[in-house]
Amino acid sequence: MTKPTPQNVSAMAEAAGVSVDKETATRIANSIGPALEGFAAIAGTLPFDLEPASYVVAQHLKVTR
Amino acid sequence: MTLTEVARAIAAKQLSSHEVTRACLHRIAQWQPHLNAFMAIESEPALKAATAADEELAKGDIKGPLHGVPLAHKDMYYDAGHVSTCGSLIRRDFVASTTSTALQRLKDAGTVRLGTLQMAEFAYGPTGHNAHYGAVHNPWKHGHVTGGSSSGSGAAVAARLTFAALGSDTGGSIRMPAHFCGVTGLKVTWGRVSRAGAMPLSQSLDTVGPLAQTAEDCALLLGLMAGLDPEDPTASAAPVQDYLAATKASLKGLRIGVPKSFYVDDLDADVAKALDATIATLKAEGADVVQVGLTDHRQLSAASQIVLAVEAAAFHKRWLIERPQDYGPQVLMRLQNALAVSGVTYLEALRWRGAALAAHIAATSGVDAVIAPVSPVAAPSIAESDIGAGQNAEAVIQRLTRFTRPINYLGLPSLAIPCGFSSSGLPIGMQLIGRSFDEATVLTIGAAFQRATDFHAKVPTLP
Repeated sequence: MTKPTPQNVSAMAEAAGVSVDKETATRIANSIGPALEGFAAIAGTLPFDLEPASYVVAQHLKVTR
Repeated sequence: MTLTEVARAIAAKQLSSHEVTRACLHRIAQWQPHLNAFMAIESEPALKAATAADEELAKGDIKGPLHGVPLAHKDMYYDAGHVSTCGSLIRRDFVASTTSTALQRLKDAGTVRLGTLQMAEFAYGPTGHNAHYGAVHNPWKHGHVTGGSSSGSGAAVAARLTFAALGSDTGGSIRMPAHFCGVTGLKVTWGRVSRAGAMPLSQSLDTVGPLAQTAEDCALLLGLMAGLDPEDPTASAAPVQDYLAATKASLKGLRIGVPKSFYVDDLDADVAKALDATIATLKAEGADVVQVGLTDHRQLSAASQIVLAVEAAAFHKRWLIERPQDYGPQVLMRLQNALAVSGVTYLEALRWRGAALAAHIAATSGVDAVIAPVSPVAAPSIAESDIGAGQNAEAVIQRLTRFTRPINYLGLPSLAIPCGFSSSGLPIGMQLIGRSFDEATVLTIGAAFQRATDFHAKVPTLP
């Protein structure tokens, strides 16, 4: 997902049950847009079997220098 | 005196808890009009508790290693029967019915409650501004920010109003105030300290940790708080290290990595100079310092922002619908940001976390810790960072916290230590980033640095 348009934001906010006006939607799109763009290279590329719980496994990986 | 020193002095009856508490209250009365660091000052109950601690000590009844030591904490640690505002209007009158595990463990060690400390509204702000209770001022320069969200904790420890304070770090909220205020702050591994009874912001990123004068003080506090907790299923069973012993170790044989990029890019000249000087000191103390190539931490930062935004908004959704007018403009703005993130994108950001940590571990396998600035700049003025909810507000926030957020996403421990001053007299800190559940190594490095320097011992003077 890349930077959303204010129209995208309005629709998503409505679906989430928190309506926002046009000005707020524009501001939200500008605020969160860079994070979504920054994550775009990762989004849609992850292996099928990867679960969020793999993080806890990675925390306990043995490290030897 | 440091926390460790005062605890020893009280235990040895060289000082009474009552006189130490009275001295803290005297300093608080002097500084509070200048700093706005305290949310609540509880003088009479504190003195009464201190007297009781002295009476217990006289009878040989010592509760623990912090018997009679007066402390104050960020106003988001629930303490049964006490108000915990969380820096907000919404929770201005919220009286907790339980006590947070971290706080209870410190109380069990014998601490005396001085009151509560200011914070960013709902811990969602990196500067120290608060739309409801006013900004906290930097003790080193009135009119400059303390950093947030543990703004009162940073200011109060720096001005020696409390010997230490709990903060919380979700995107930099312990390390930023430590850096801006010239104190030592420990962001622990995610899962190292129970989050039960601490106000949540983002369950995947929140960590509980101390701000204090020294690495040794942080080690003492972490040793008391770390470990399993039936009230928090995410509190880890990983073995608790001997943190105090770690602070006595030498740097010989340790290898510290300096990032080749990102953390060394676009630094203010004073910060770059302090980084170089810190590296030189660590080398002189026996550490092997090498360059290290990291993975793309800009991507980690983006993922961190997505996770934080969505989890925070989910906690706040009911109030976003029912009481949006009761939030400060900036916090409302940041909570609303999550409305543009799909559930799929949020879960992708969580799914990637393990792989991202594994890649970081591989990239840094040749070093024991990584050193990096906490922020590219020293404390900006309150006026210039009063960005409210303007169109560029989020961009300014992200720039200030770009070196702290990736570490929260990886969930690694990071010790912020004071290591210099800017040309305008404002403190500068560095962060020592360790491996998961290896707080001991960063505490070893921090303590060795503090044996060789005196930045941590410098105290601001009353304006």
